[in-house]
Amino acid sequence: MAKLEAKNIVKRFEHNGEMLPTLDGINLSINDGEFVCIVGPSGCGKTTLLNIIAGLTKPDSGQVLLNGRQITTTGPDRTLVFQEGALFPWLKVSDNVEFGLKVAGIPKNERSEISSRYLDMMQLTKFADSYTYQLSTGMKQRVAIARALVMDPEILLMDEPFAALDAQTRDLLLVELQLIWERTKKTILFVTHNIIESSVLGSRVIVLKNRPSKVKKEIIIDHRRPRLAEDESLKKYQQQILAELRTEVQPGGKHTD
Amino acid sequence: MKSNIVTKRIVFYLALILSWQALDFANIWPDQIFPSPLEVAEDLAFGAANGSLFYGIGTSMLRLIIGLTIAIAGGLALGIFMARFSVVNQTIGSLVLGLQSIPSIAWVPIAILWFGLTDAGIIFVTAIGAIFAVTINSYTSVKNIDPTIIAAAQNMGAKGPQLISSVLIPAAFPYMIAGFRQGWAFAWRGLIGAELLFSFLGLGFLLNVGRQLNDVSQVIAIMLVIMGIGMLVDGFVFKKIERKVMSRWGLA
Ligand SMILES: Nc1ncnc2c1ncn2[C@@H]1O[C@H](COP(=O)(O)OP(=O)(O)OP(=O)(O)O)[C@@H](O)[C@H]1O
Ligand SMILES: [Mg+2]
Repeated sequence: MAKLEAKNIVKRFEHNGEMLPTLDGINLSINDGEFVCIVGPSGCGKTTLLNIIAGLTKPDSGQVLLNGRQITTTGPDRTLVFQEGALFPWLKVSDNVEFGLKVAGIPKNERSEISSRYLDMMQLTKFADSYTYQLSTGMKQRVAIARALVMDPEILLMDEPFAALDAQTRDLLLVELQLIWERTKKTILFVTHNIIESSVLGSRVIVLKNRPSKVKKEIIIDHRRPRLAEDESLKKYQQQILAELRTEVQPGGKHTD
Repeated sequence: MKSNIVTKRIVFYLALILSWQALDFANIWPDQIFPSPLEVAEDLAFGAANGSLFYGIGTSMLRLIIGLTIAIAGGLALGIFMARFSVVNQTIGSLVLGLQSIPSIAWVPIAILWFGLTDAGIIFVTAIGAIFAVTINSYTSVKNIDPTIIAAAQNMGAKGPQLISSVLIPAAFPYMIAGFRQGWAFAWRGLIGAELLFSFLGLGFLLNVGRQLNDVSQVIAIMLVIMGIGMLVDGFVFKKIERKVMSRWGLA
């Protein structure tokens, strides 16, 4: 049985007084422990899809199954790392990371123990007592990842978490994330519009068609890890993904890196 | 820069007092109408010495604190409910807007009828004069929270009262302070007005006593105290809280 399944997800949004389909029947099946990347042009509905899987947005039709059971609301079994980070500015880094644990009623000493472990993993120990505005964008993104990881979710949902980073920080986090994945054996669904990112991270890359979006192609990337952004041997996969995407970007439309 | 402003202010107030004294020396108006700054100062000293001044300040401040606490707690709760449940906003929301347009003094007659000439009546006027301003501001503050912050909290399991106390209030707090400050200003005005009309202890009562005794220097002395407390609370207490919160939230 698949860890997560999306069945025929349809979502329409109003555009100039008309209800236009953004997601037009998306089907996904993700196995336990898999690292899956979704790529698609900007505005094709990737965030919308993740929000639906997280239970934050209701689809117009279709269903999401987690371990075979239909999800109805949002919850910490599907923690989402938001595109914008969405950290809590009034909390220290450690309290941001502990937020979900506190909500779950886990006692303070246990919370501190868990959060310090993840802060250490994210190399943020020195900043545990900082406030989020004192952090760089890359550090904020790592806090957001730690905050989602501590909940030990069934599946970790990530929405372009590295989009705002400089190349060096991103390359570093690309490796870190693979190591974390190998260590925690989490199921990860990672959304990006960056081809290199998807080829480095994904064991499987799902390419979405432009709006109205459907799954266009799945590409299996069977390659040793940790992979690096500059890995030559990933080039052929990248070209494959690019070829799929290229037909999706209209001339004069938004580019896709 | 900062000490420069302080110097300018000191010079200004000294000049003001000196001109006041000069006007008094000119003897244009009789003393019962236009007292000298010295007489006002004497009156303050006298009130301070026999304790009536501090008793008046204490009574008013206690009423203010109780009334404002009620207004902030009630306004916060109502504002949050309006922001989270559109039915509440569509129904009670319009009533709040209407009630907010009633000057707090206009609540005095009904307060007297309901509570008699008591502390509770004065506190009622103080609280009701402030509560709707706090409500409306809390509503807008919560409405303006970045929706992804709320989504993130819900995604991690926060809901109901916990979502309110650990996310909605802290996320909106820097913006709510402006509402608390406005609430304080309304409460202070309402309180003094109510005390004047109830004529039952407090600074407003002392103003009234001054008028009844034809003691213009006492009237001015109490007005100065009212102004002083106003400046202190607004410029000191609220400014300080605001600055602290802004820097703590990384907004400064
Ligand atoms: N709440 C909404 N109301 C109306 N339209 C919406 C709403 N949310 C998303 N859309 C539309 O749906 C489309 C997909 O948006 P979405 O944010 O999911 O795209 P995306 O693939 O995540 O884009 P990006 O790569 O830029 O983050 C966009 O055209 C957007 O205008
Ligand atoms: Mg997006």
